[in-house]
Amino acid sequence: MIELNNVSLGYNKKPVLNNLDLHISKGEFVGIIGLSGAGKSTLLMSLIGNIQILSGRYNVIGYQLGTISKKHLKELRTRIGFIFQGYNLVDRLNVLHNIMSGMLGQMSLSRALIKWYGRQELAKGYKYMQTVDISECARQRCDELSGGQRQRVAIARALAQEPDILLADEPVAALDPKSAAQVMDILQTINRQYGVTIIANLHHLDFARKYCSRILGIADGDIIFDGLPEELAQRDLDRIYKIKNTETCDEDMEEIDISHLMDAARIRPKRLKKVLKHEQESVKV
Amino acid sequence: MVIILFAILLTSWNNTEMSISALVDGAGSMREYIAGNPEIADSGFFPPSFIPSDIQMYVVAMIETLEMALIALFFSILVAIPLSLLASRNILMILLPSDTPFTRTLRGGIYLSASLVANVFRSINEIIWALFFVSAVGLGPMAGILALGIHTAGVLCKLLAEGNEAIDPGPVEALSATGAGFLKVIVYAVVPQTMPHFISMVLYRFESDVRSASILGFVGAGGIGFYLFDKIRSFENADVTTIIIIIVVAVWLIDKLSAVIRKKFI
Repeated sequence: MIELNNVSLGYNKKPVLNNLDLHISKGEFVGIIGLSGAGKSTLLMSLIGNIQILSGRYNVIGYQLGTISKKHLKELRTRIGFIFQGYNLVDRLNVLHNIMSGMLGQMSLSRALIKWYGRQELAKGYKYMQTVDISECARQRCDELSGGQRQRVAIARALAQEPDILLADEPVAALDPKSAAQVMDILQTINRQYGVTIIANLHHLDFARKYCSRILGIADGDIIFDGLPEELAQRDLDRIYKIKNTETCDEDMEEIDISHLMDAARIRPKRLKKVLKHEQESVKV
Repeated sequence: MVIILFAILLTSWNNTEMSISALVDGAGSMREYIAGNPEIADSGFFPPSFIPSDIQMYVVAMIETLEMALIALFFSILVAIPLSLLASRNILMILLPSDTPFTRTLRGGIYLSASLVANVFRSINEIIWALFFVSAVGLGPMAGILALGIHTAGVLCKLLAEGNEAIDPGPVEALSATGAGFLKVIVYAVVPQTMPHFISMVLYRFESDVRSASILGFVGAGGIGFYLFDKIRSFENADVTTIIIIIVVAVWLIDKLSAVIRKKFI
């Protein structure tokens, strides 16, 4: 289903992930673990063609990324669902509209413009609402929901795409333990019932161990662990999370490219460097 | 920083020959102007004139002014919506997402030209536009409508573009990831987010347009401004007061109405 041969990925021709060899088959539930900045999100984003492929062969459901045309990329994206840490719902629209927006890829433009859905589409929408147990809130606006409910709406939106693959970028990092477990349970149900391949970045090691059928450990742009959850030993974790190796951590801090941050915040570089320096010092103290 | 600002303020005060004593000394003349010449009837501002047939005439002209503002607003929205989308960097990123030198230049080019057009529309005052259009289509409300419309299109473009650039990029990212195209992303992820801002800005511009439209008559571009200018020139100041009262009441009513509409949408 997903096949990477010697692939390097990066931004502005600078590689973030190097020489990846990876094969993921249908129906797997893959958990990716690693430190922030290790390249977990980059790997996920690359699957929907958002990251530059610097070398190697990258095949997703029969599409060759890297040489893919705009039209094919759109087609590919309709077959891959994406769940974000910050839910990324449209707050001012109600739950139903948010879920139906997952079908936009297949919907005709004229109907999308007036938000008019067919009976079959609505039936699908309600089915997925039930899958994530949110149907009682169908007419509620999303800014009235709790974090756990919002993430469930986001999952239903992704399901409405009827995806072959579901990608989840830190899906439960912002949730309380109870809601987080509920969301992970739903992901597991989707994986088992619908046979959807799931690839999730996870901060919580416990969740990765409990729910995933396979774990990838990423550090410094390399996959350094690839195996069953039971095989994950303490020394693998030490390498993934770089425990007892604080010096390299400091080096990493200095190497982080802050230019995009500066653009985003529109802060003058001088001032930002001052702020960062101050923060680093306070961390050391 | 504060010292520099204060210095600029002081220099500006001196250069523009502001003086409090001039205002105090001249207060008497102002009083005389407002009171009017006792020998000529109706040359004072108070009491306002109260001739029903005249008031009816002014109210009809006021309604014409409102109609001018409304049509001008309609045209300006038609122009400003697409223009503001092209003058928002984040919207251009949805339209042309790839990161090649060519698309980067294209994005920059579109952004600059759209902003430039909006800037030109906006920087030229309604009165100046009205002069141009009076020479083109002759005296009357149509010149006023075109003048108001083009100026307001420029202002709205800037205001709406600021609203567009302030949206949460999350939903846009999410819907782009589902394979939805440009217009679908705009309708589902951008419009719902910018709606409250859009409504406020349009209502605010309607009120401004009514105020502006009421002086466009000075250059013969229709509306109540024609009577206002006529009465000011002929020193029939009691009528001027009546007209001003009508304008103030109209603007006040629009303000109340906007508050109601705004509440409904936000």
